[in-house]
Amino acid sequence: MENKQKAFSKLIKDNQGLIIKVSRLYTHSLEDQEDLFQEIVLQLWKSYDSFQGNSKISTWMYRVALNTAITLFRKKTRQPQTDELQDFHSKDFLEDNDEKQQQISLLYKVIKLLPDVERAIVMMYLDDEPYKEIAETLGITEVNARVKMNRLKKILKELMIKHA
Amino acid sequence: MPNSEDFDIDSLKKTWQDQVISDGYDQNEIESMLNKKSRNYVKYILWISIAEFVIFGLINFLALFSTDFQTDFTSILNKLQIRNQNEVEFSLDRIYYWMKIFSLIITGVFVVIFYLNYKKINVESNLKKFITHIIHFKKTVNLFIFSNIFLLILFIASFTSFIVFTIKKQNIHIDNPTFWGLITGVIFSLLICIILILLYYKLAYGILLKRLSVNLKQLEKIDSEKI
Repeated sequence: MENKQKAFSKLIKDNQGLIIKVSRLYTHSLEDQEDLFQEIVLQLWKSYDSFQGNSKISTWMYRVALNTAITLFRKKTRQPQTDELQDFHSKDFLEDNDEKQQQISLLYKVIKLLPDVERAIVMMYLDDEPYKEIAETLGITEVNARVKMNRLKKILKELMIKHA
Repeated sequence: MPNSEDFDIDSLKKTWQDQVISDGYDQNEIESMLNKKSRNYVKYILWISIAEFVIFGLINFLALFSTDFQTDFTSILNKLQIRNQNEVEFSLDRIYYWMKIFSLIITGVFVVIFYLNYKKINVESNLKKFITHIIHFKKTVNLFIFSNIFLLILFIASFTSFIVFTIKKQNIHIDNPTFWGLITGVIFSLLICIILILLYYKLAYGILLKRLSVNLKQLEKIDSEKI
């Protein structure tokens, strides 16, 4: 049991970037972000036995992380109003001096303006997941995932220009 | 001043993938998370559903198995001056018996369906399937509650029609206010019960399932959009 826990925690530590990105994209406070990370880890742990080698690590992690963030997670803090959200992100954005970091902050800021399902499509696309994988994770067709992403590219560009 | 090229999603892919995760966790912190309690909607829905099962099951059983009912019923028969009370009570006992059997079968079937639908909820499913299974699971409980309401209505309706039928059969003359008072009382209490239950469901659904339905609609919309 202890070995299993160690193997699992190592696996999570090595791949935590994905969980942190999901946690940041689906919460509006640090407290919720930490709680969501923990809930995703717990759900991954519960399904660890059935996973072990049955699919790609990223496939398993995306499914569990997104299902948890979009469907299971109960936020502690209320959803902020749009102007509060703007303030929160602008502050974050202004503190970033590095140009790349500024771009990343802006990306988070605009992706968080999209509905839950669209956020998932954009995140997986940015992570270079193939459309087949995006479609299978969300339960939509590959063609529709592609079409939706093409439309989202335009929307995101407009949002970035507006919020830069 | 950034140009619009800087906002092209494809050109930002590499920046996104190379982002530095500064707020990461070490292995010990992750291990300690495994001992924490899970706080999630399905668990919440499961406990509420079990509570609903118990409450509505109990109401149903109490209504059908209560011994007080027999005494109350005899006193109503007395008040209405119905003759051959033993014969009438015997007929009602038979209706009663079949309703108990029916109620037990319904509860048994629903407990099995409830368990099977709960087992279908798998966090490794795709998002659409995951949401659909949670909604199905919740709907099983709703169906159980509505079937219990139906059973209670059926029970009260058969009880009332039985009395009305006996009154007519025995040519008993009761004054209009008493007769209509009885009928109005039965209908009014039934309506109040149904309205309260529907109100509870509107609230419970509104709070618990709104997010699920919104996301399911989003997925369906993506799949139905014209290409």
